[in-house]
Amino acid sequence: MISARWLRVFAPIFLSLLLFVTACAKPESRYSQVQKDTTRRGAPTAVAKAAEQGSTFNKFFPNSTGTYEVVPAQEKKGFAEYKLNKDGKTVAMLSVSDTTSLPTAAVKYRNSTETIAGYPAVNQGTTATGILINDRYQVKVLSRDPSFTQEDRVAWLQKFDLRGLAKLEGPKTATTPAQKSLPNTATSPKRAPTLTPQPAT
Amino acid sequence: MSKAIYEIVDNLPKGGITVSALKSLDFVVPGQWNNLVGFDNTIRAVTGETDEALIQQIGERAVTLFNDKSQGYQRALWLYDTVDSASGLLGTAALMNRIGQDTFLGFLKNLTPKPERAQSIDLCVKLVTELVAFCQINGIPGDSIGDFLAALKDYSGESLMRMVALVSFDGLIPLGAGFTDKALSMIKGMSPSELSHNQTFKGVQDLIPGGNDAGKQAFITESFESTKGWMDEFVASKGLTQQGLVNNLSKFVEFSSDKLDYLGAFLDVSVKYYRHTGIQTLARRLIERAVAEI
Repeated sequence: MISARWLRVFAPIFLSLLLFVTACAKPESRYSQVQKDTTRRGAPTAVAKAAEQGSTFNKFFPNSTGTYEVVPAQEKKGFAEYKLNKDGKTVAMLSVSDTTSLPTAAVKYRNSTETIAGYPAVNQGTTATGILINDRYQVKVLSRDPSFTQEDRVAWLQKFDLRGLAKLEGPKTATTPAQKSLPNTATSPKRAPTLTPQPAT
Repeated sequence: MSKAIYEIVDNLPKGGITVSALKSLDFVVPGQWNNLVGFDNTIRAVTGETDEALIQQIGERAVTLFNDKSQGYQRALWLYDTVDSASGLLGTAALMNRIGQDTFLGFLKNLTPKPERAQSIDLCVKLVTELVAFCQINGIPGDSIGDFLAALKDYSGESLMRMVALVSFDGLIPLGAGFTDKALSMIKGMSPSELSHNQTFKGVQDLIPGGNDAGKQAFITESFESTKGWMDEFVASKGLTQQGLVNNLSKFVEFSSDKLDYLGAFLDVSVKYYRHTGIQTLARRLIERAVAEI
């Protein structure tokens, strides 16, 4: 039997212990929700089954030119990425991704009023410029050095074989991308269009 | 459930013996490695972005990609993790016995230097681990030695530092000059069953291409043979010597140079450079992909 006197003695000790332990608990991470959502049983995969193979995108990337070297970096289902090196230093990343796996990536182009080579374009943050082809394939150039400006990104986006990518048909199971009329697709405009920054989301 | 990638990156040490040992190699590749730790820090450093909403978006996509087992990132982490713990397993008991009781030299007395054969297998298996992990991270077929060799020339940052540490801590320091020839002839002359009893090999054998021990040995030999030229050229072009490395290391870690035999064993036990820099590489690649996909 625990007497009331002992309870009076221990209660404050237990209470302080409880406070101490809860105070020491780690604060929730800003990523704890996504961690829960992507590790639970039956969580959706990061890459859609219907996504195009990354190897399909390789032929649409620009070639090395002058002092710029285009070096393969990653090739996964629905994604391919190359480094753009100048004098041995990576100045930008070039990528093509299939937004079938991440539909929100395509949504940001809906409100875009800017175009590059006829495709809807957005600036994302301060280092990325992207265009969306056939409402499905996202082509991005991301600066990795301050010397590589937004104008450079626009210029390099136009070095991709965008017309070829636009002709790409996704696997049969994929949702049919909305076809758009694409004026002057592969011909580079004389002056790079000016882009106004868009919100990141 | 496996640990969250952001926690793993957040928990990378800022100091300690692994970081000190790697810093001692800065003179080989000046400024290439700056021990970037912390998940959000890595997002900021890799992308150059500071907007918190954008960082959140990038981080969430990176977490999602890591948690999808089919994407290979978890296998790469397992490889980097396992090859380090397996190679250090033998000496750990000795370390545990002596830690806190004695001086560093006292601790060294209790460590048995790894025989050259075991050290040679370590070097070869670690190199193949890099190749396989590289393929898992970058999405290249697991036996593509050619693609790996092409990429090796373009290695930078923590990936290059990992290779420098491999050449130094698992090559030149324990095996001396001509370590690539030594290791190659040993692995070639070894029976598949001897290889199969090696602790480091046992740790990662499941992910090494090749149907059986003999097949895996052939793949290890071929990989090492193909990469040997790069290692020899690297050592020659940087003028690396066993003595030079040891002298430099002694500025960071206290030891006596007449205990050189034991230094390799000590590094083996206490320096987890594969795991440390491997996680840094993995985080970088995940983030590069995430920011391009969102």
